[in-house]
Amino acid sequence: MQSVENLVTQIQGLSSSASDISVLHNILKAADDSLRSESPRLLPSLDQLDPSKHSLGYLYFLEPCVYGTITKERANTLVPIIARFITSCVAEQIRLAPEKFITVCRRFKEQVMLLEVPIRGVGPLLTAIHKIQASTEHLTALHPEFLQLCLSSKCYKTGLSVLEDDIYEVNQPRDFFLYCYYGGMIFIGQKRFQKALELLHNVVTAPMPTINAIACEAYKKYILVSLIHHGQFSTNLPKYTSSAAQRNLKNFCQSYIELANSYNTGKVAELETYVRVNMEKFESDNNLGLVKQVISSMYKRNIQRLTQTYLTLSLQDIANTVQLNSPKEAEMHVLQMIQDGQIYATINQKDGMVRFLEDPEQYKTCEMIEHIDSSIQRIMALSKKLTAMDELLSCDHLYLAKAGRERQRFDFDDFDTVPQKFNI
Amino acid sequence: MDFSPLTDAMASKSYDKIADICDQLMLQVAADGVAFEDEWPYAIHLLGHLYVNDSNSARFLWKSIPSAIKENQPQVVAAWKIGQRLWTRDYAGVYEAIRGFEWSQEAQPLVAAFSEIYTKRMFQLLLSAYSTISIEDTALFLGMNEDDAKNYVQQQGWLEDPASRMLTVKKQPIVTEQKLDPSKLQRLTEYVFHLEH
Amino acid sequence: MEAEDEQSNAMMDEIYSNGCEETARSRPIISGEQLDIEAYASLYQGRTKITRLLFIADHCDNVSMRLEALRMAYDEIKKGENTQLLREVVQKIDGRLGPNYAMDAAWCESVDRRAEQRKEKLENELNAYRTNLIKESIRMGYNDFGDFYYAHGALGDAFKSYVRTRDYCTTSKHIIHMCMSAILVSIEMGQFTHVTSYVSKAEQTPEALEPATVAKLRCAAGLAHLEAKKYKLAARKFLEVGPDLLNSYNEVIAPQDVATYGGLCALASFDRAELKSKVIDNVSFRNFLELVPEVRELINDFYSSHYASCLDYLGNLKANLLLDIHLHDHVEILYDQIRNKALIQYTHPFVSVDLNMMANAFKTTVAGIQKELEALITDNQIQARIDSHNKILYARHADQRNATFQRVLQTGNEFDQDVRAMLLRTNLLKHDYNQRNSRKL
Repeated sequence: MQSVENLVTQIQGLSSSASDISVLHNILKAADDSLRSESPRLLPSLDQLDPSKHSLGYLYFLEPCVYGTITKERANTLVPIIARFITSCVAEQIRLAPEKFITVCRRFKEQVMLLEVPIRGVGPLLTAIHKIQASTEHLTALHPEFLQLCLSSKCYKTGLSVLEDDIYEVNQPRDFFLYCYYGGMIFIGQKRFQKALELLHNVVTAPMPTINAIACEAYKKYILVSLIHHGQFSTNLPKYTSSAAQRNLKNFCQSYIELANSYNTGKVAELETYVRVNMEKFESDNNLGLVKQVISSMYKRNIQRLTQTYLTLSLQDIANTVQLNSPKEAEMHVLQMIQDGQIYATINQKDGMVRFLEDPEQYKTCEMIEHIDSSIQRIMALSKKLTAMDELLSCDHLYLAKAGRERQRFDFDDFDTVPQKFNI
Repeated sequence: MDFSPLTDAMASKSYDKIADICDQLMLQVAADGVAFEDEWPYAIHLLGHLYVNDSNSARFLWKSIPSAIKENQPQVVAAWKIGQRLWTRDYAGVYEAIRGFEWSQEAQPLVAAFSEIYTKRMFQLLLSAYSTISIEDTALFLGMNEDDAKNYVQQQGWLEDPASRMLTVKKQPIVTEQKLDPSKLQRLTEYVFHLEH
Repeated sequence: MEAEDEQSNAMMDEIYSNGCEETARSRPIISGEQLDIEAYASLYQGRTKITRLLFIADHCDNVSMRLEALRMAYDEIKKGENTQLLREVVQKIDGRLGPNYAMDAAWCESVDRRAEQRKEKLENELNAYRTNLIKESIRMGYNDFGDFYYAHGALGDAFKSYVRTRDYCTTSKHIIHMCMSAILVSIEMGQFTHVTSYVSKAEQTPEALEPATVAKLRCAAGLAHLEAKKYKLAARKFLEVGPDLLNSYNEVIAPQDVATYGGLCALASFDRAELKSKVIDNVSFRNFLELVPEVRELINDFYSSHYASCLDYLGNLKANLLLDIHLHDHVEILYDQIRNKALIQYTHPFVSVDLNMMANAFKTTVAGIQKELEALITDNQIQARIDSHNKILYARHADQRNATFQRVLQTGNEFDQDVRAMLLRTNLLKHDYNQRNSRKL
């Protein structure tokens, strides 16, 4: 049993080379239990350590301090210490004890939330993710924590920085669910509905043994965003969706399904009535804002349908068809949609007419070719990844054992396979 | 708090960088535990977002501002008023919000730059969305009086029909680069090779 | 535009010539004019005659026609043994046809009494057959029961009795007989799923069927498809009805009905080529069409793009078709589909169409035709867009190259998204599986 002082000395002495650090790591592992019992004495000794040099030791000393209930007062002491540690620690060292690092960061998040200053945690947690992440393809346990802080502190734009990376490696389903759910909310806030749909869809269709609250809330938002973005919603879930979700989601989200049905009638007044009647439900789900966007998106959807049918149409006719009060209001809607790139049209104020145009994109510009080129590259990379994954799995003895056992019960088609035609 | 990156950007009129600089700085001082709110240049920060056409971020920033500051700093409220008009697509209201406040010496150039860039954006919008438009509306969209607006667009080749007080929009030919460099062909060959093997 | 002008002029001429022709023609039973109930009823016999008359009485707006139908139904019922029907009809007549059409209690009583006796006799006979285990006799016994119940309007019992003969059928002929009886009762009951299944049972018998039987089965199958709103299948069945039908199935359907049902279903559901090969060039069906010249004319008009005339005929026929027991539910749907088909065909050859002309050709207003076209374009049935300012419809010629690029990029995006989601799901499954395994260890 080593004394705290003794450990401090060893940490100071064994933090420079990789081999020293691995020796130190063994010493610290052996001392882990005793450190826990000494936790009240650890905080003062942290002063003797430099987080940017003695990161591993610092982490082993810091971790026991964050356990137990934390008062505001204690949080006020700890938050700056942890923030400084996260910012200055050495990635290679803390990765030796990832669980400890994650625990510290999680508690840190709880503390800034307790102090009601979520913004204090945003920067440090972003740094923490970069330090603990093996590659940008790995989802860490800190992703959802970070995104939650971004939401609470309204730093949506900062949240985007980790959401832009494509995640493939996941360890904890719960982390993944929360990551997609919070990520979806951030994209919704930034009005990037396509990306939001993708993430929410991931939650809804993820394998799950039983239905969970995150999936339900995600499904509600998924319905609303589908309506806003696509102007339609289909209750059909893809067949790979877990049976738990297939069976239960619709029951838990009944008022949202009904909202979608009402939307599909294309009648604004009907939809507004439905929302008024169910106002409280949507409000208690914190979805009222989105629901309001759903209502205004209906004008867009209805105008968009007109572009499929008409070459020219008077503003008066548009107002009548989509149930707007005046030609001027119709003009403003059309103008907005042109501004947002949702339709191609020109307004002729003199005649009170709108001429709808085809998408002017001719797929000839260098820019477009660049875009297509990068899409091809991306997809080639993806299919390589897929092949690699496929090979890995077909060599995995656990998988082979299972597949062999269950061959009678399942057709090969029942598993997610790559459609042959995409096998480029 | 060290505002030098911000003051540098303001001084060099790199207004498009303001929002990012402020975002970064804010996270940094917050992480250091500094109580920054009272001294934070919220108005500049808001205008920075608006300058790069990011009214979403401006809105979230506004939501995060403590109410005491909203009450005591009229310039912050005035800056958000612009954002609000943008948010609700009150195209002409944006100019009213700009003119309706006596901006501080510090904010003045940024507001002026925003106003200028906004007018340009509005002109582009009119150009793409209208074939004919009244002089009155043109003036509202461009934030000018009718004579100035008329002059402004006539310089771009728009024609006036004095009888109906309508302007005919002159579309600008879109110039696009269509030339390919040989490396693209090389790429294409590689793709075909990839597909065949 | 030129081509279109000529066409519409030609069409105007046609409308008039068609109109003249019609007056010269002998008046058929199903025509634009008020239904001649007597002539109509004479096409049918048995129970369907009564139910068709009652249907007219229930659905016709014209009081004198209603009473006429009821009077004939009353007379017809009196020829049979269904006292329940008589009571119903008397109630509907409500004394409006004088003392000759009042409740005849004596008749009812005697019919019912005779029925009791007959039933008892049949029961005794059947019991005797069953103790003796003579298959053929048992079959006959059940069959007699079926006939008995059918005559007295107990359709459910009739159906059961007929079906029960099945176990005692020894020849294909017996099976066919059983099927035909079951089909007849099922049609009366409106149980068209039974109809379909007994039609296929009958068609599966090993021996070759008589041509008249084949024709009857086609009619029954056609009715079943019609009822299920499968108009294309219905049309095919009716078009296959052979000339041997004659009047042999008038306890169910008249040859005129074959022409009308088949013709309208075909118009609503066939494309031009099919219409030509299966209807217009169909020699045996032509004979049916001769019985209802309006339907023949309107099909020809449709095929030769004389839509106004075609729609005229349809309009004239409508009131009477709505009084048809099998067709009335489908008239609106079929008419809509025919009209839509006409609209689509009309626009098809043109680069641009003047909506004023088109409205004229389809007997509607410009606003009306615009609404109809809007619906068809939205439904992607017409590839065109409306210039509402100048009231012209322009065909839309998709740019193949752009469309291809667009689709390629879209497919790429979908693939990208799907694969990433799939990799993630695979990882989650793998994680879950590993964890469960490690727990087991």
